[in-house]
Amino acid sequence: MNGSSADSVLLRASGVTKRFPGVVANDNITLDVRRARVHCLLGENGAGKSTLADLFYGVHEPDEGVIELRGEPIHMVSPRDAIAAGIGMVRQHFELVTPMSVLENVVIGTRGEAKVDLRAARDRLRELCDLYGVEVDLDTPVGDLAVGQQQWVEILKALYLGCEVLILDEPTAVLTPEGIERLFATLRRMASEGLTIVLITHKLHEVMEISDDVTVLRRGRVVRTSLTSEVTMADLTRMMVGRDVDLAIDVAETPRGDLVLDVSGLDVATESGRGSLKQVSLRVHEREILGIAGVSGNGQDALFDVLVGMRSADSGRIVVDARDVAELSPAGRLDIGIASVPADRIHQGLMMDFRISENLILGRQRSERFGRRGWLNQKGIGEFADDSFAAFEIAAPSPAHVTRVLSGGNLQKIVMARELAGQPRLLVVHQPTRGLDIGATEYVRRRLVEERDRGAAILLISEDLDELLNLSSRIAVMFDGRIVGEVDRRDATIDRIGLWMAGVSDTPGEALA
Amino acid sequence: MNTDVPTTPGPSSGSLLRRSGWRLEKRLEVKPWHEVVTLVGAFIVGLAICSILIAASDKSVVDSYRALFDGAFGSRRAVYETLVQATPLIFTGLAAAFAFRARVWNIGGEGQFFAGAMGAFFVSNLWHAHLPRGVMVPVLFIAAAAAGALWASIAGLLKARYDTNEIITTVMLNFIILLILSYLLGDLWRSPDTFYFQTVTLPESAHLPLIVDGTRLHWGFGIAVAMAVVVHVVLRRTALGYEVRGVGINRTAGSYKGISVPRVTVLVMAISGALAGLAGAAEFSGIHHRLQLDISNNFGFVGIIIALIGRLHPAGVVVSAIAFGALVNGAVTMQIQTGIPAALVDVIQGLSLIFVLSGAVAVRYRLQRTHTDE
Repeated sequence: MNGSSADSVLLRASGVTKRFPGVVANDNITLDVRRARVHCLLGENGAGKSTLADLFYGVHEPDEGVIELRGEPIHMVSPRDAIAAGIGMVRQHFELVTPMSVLENVVIGTRGEAKVDLRAARDRLRELCDLYGVEVDLDTPVGDLAVGQQQWVEILKALYLGCEVLILDEPTAVLTPEGIERLFATLRRMASEGLTIVLITHKLHEVMEISDDVTVLRRGRVVRTSLTSEVTMADLTRMMVGRDVDLAIDVAETPRGDLVLDVSGLDVATESGRGSLKQVSLRVHEREILGIAGVSGNGQDALFDVLVGMRSADSGRIVVDARDVAELSPAGRLDIGIASVPADRIHQGLMMDFRISENLILGRQRSERFGRRGWLNQKGIGEFADDSFAAFEIAAPSPAHVTRVLSGGNLQKIVMARELAGQPRLLVVHQPTRGLDIGATEYVRRRLVEERDRGAAILLISEDLDELLNLSSRIAVMFDGRIVGEVDRRDATIDRIGLWMAGVSDTPGEALA
Repeated sequence: MNTDVPTTPGPSSGSLLRRSGWRLEKRLEVKPWHEVVTLVGAFIVGLAICSILIAASDKSVVDSYRALFDGAFGSRRAVYETLVQATPLIFTGLAAAFAFRARVWNIGGEGQFFAGAMGAFFVSNLWHAHLPRGVMVPVLFIAAAAAGALWASIAGLLKARYDTNEIITTVMLNFIILLILSYLLGDLWRSPDTFYFQTVTLPESAHLPLIVDGTRLHWGFGIAVAMAVVVHVVLRRTALGYEVRGVGINRTAGSYKGISVPRVTVLVMAISGALAGLAGAAEFSGIHHRLQLDISNNFGFVGIIIALIGRLHPAGVVVSAIAFGALVNGAVTMQIQTGIPAALVDVIQGLSLIFVLSGAVAVRYRLQRTHTDE
């Protein structure tokens, strides 16, 4: 095949369908990836991006349709075939041998020779690093590298194996903002050197920043492939979620009620000393959301834990409805109406191998509603599960299914359904929308506002400033275990909060850190 | 139902094996019948490999396995004896399964078995002359359960309070109880009319009734099966069972939602110990009627294997205990008829366990025919 525009198409999916039990992950997908360009696959969680990438990389085979490379259909049974054909991929979970050095990890994938010429490999790797501006010490054990650095090792592996197409699955999830900048700069350089990049993401601004082409996926289908220069973020959002989503929820101010949570002079020392609390005082009233902003690691985890009873304070008082709760266990705090949504829902919030209906009652398995004298009330549990499914639009085959099969958004809905069911007085929420797609994010935020309007006092710990500015009545900023500033939402600006988050006080004469 | 059985986590994803035309793919859901096929398959593979051993010693594989089967199920009497062999294994298997469901690694079933037998003997020795059989037998079972629970609780409390590794403490407690028993058998409890390390044989008022007269099949088997039902109901239908399973799945989330992990740990250890203790009572009161050092055929340890092969499910425990009871029983016949050492049965047990455990991982994948263009 010579000439014409087809020549620039390097990788193509043509009518590709992939089914898993109960779901069509990819439904008749047709898509062209052109040579030496950065092509983003954009979609919400569960839209089928990773499945499509797995099909390109030979992890799965399409049930229908074909993958074409350079105009020829290719048949891949495993990633080995993909690598041999010149397709490389950096998956979300790295496949590295941590005690071995960077160099060893890179050459481990080469095959066919009994003895590896390490010196030649080192020279070749150096060349690659220089060519693309990658900075990694080749002799460091991979286990000693930060996660962001490990990702570079994965990228080097793919390059070393001679890939022409490099697929990256959500590579920015593990990176700091500077790390993302570096990655994007390198990806651009690679594209200009003739490499073809396929980048999977659900973050709109990344698409706008890095890509030449963008394909939006929704529910396993291609919505549209466009030149990035010809679409706006609003267009992409519409395509991703199938309707206009205004992430900024209309939060009408309501007059706050009585004082619910009164924390004063709280000191909590952590074992490592990192993330401890120092003289934290804060108050949350009925019908009020107090937002806690801060860069992660500045005491948010300890604050959450000490409020739900997983940690005890060294000094200070935690008063809820005029009652000192310091001595109450997590169970005791649940009983007096303190509900919580933890940051890490999979490890702190849910039993992944429980049935969904069982997770919905976690913490209340001995309550009157769900049991009597130690026996579980199956009927009550079933009814509550049905109610929760309806009220929270949980998308799962049935409450009897194991929780593990659900997507992130549905997992969070289960946690929310459980925590809100008791109409809590105080709701402590930590990173409620982290990792969720736009639809679920909007849903969770709306629910929080509804809870506030019902009369709950809400403490919202978040690293998402937009979220805090949108939802909170007041925002307090944590830095190094202290509250370094508090501001009414009306007076809050990103700049001011940003300075506080960086540890700069605007009180004259006071130095922080 | 299979979903709440803790399983060995498989590799994260992707294909493991590449052969032309076939590939392994991860299953999204493992159904109960997959597990059953795995169990039966593992057992058959175990037998198949052992047939190589048999063939290597110039014996007929068919004859040997026929003798094994006849010994286990060939006659009514053989079946009864198989159930006799299975009885203590059901108890100790349940003991291990219950603890393992909470990820409490009770390796002390053997010691708790002896604690139970000692508790049973102690009350029987004290009261057999004063109590009718209908009271004495329940009392000795309760005493055995209490003794097993108490002995296991030492490890449970150490774990709950000081986070001591329960694997080490339970194993050490096994040695300690045996040494205590040796001491008692050599001294306080030794039968006056014998030179051996054994107690007096107790009269019928302390004997468990037989299910079938003229055989050794005693009501311990019935109690064991009943306990399997009880364990299942507790796990599925009670708040305690919910918490036990929860602690086994994710103790961090459990404590965030108010489950007291130390409390559950102590309870689980005690209940597990009580179940193992019942095995001791059943063997003492159903078979031996006296204490000596060899009343356990490694029941506590084999119970761990039974529990794992039974996928920590009470029904699975009963089935695999009967299967191994059959092996032990049939092995005797096989040895007599063909001269193959009964130790071969241990090999079958071990191999089956290995294949069940690898099968537990394998069952999470499916073999799929890949598409070819021709």
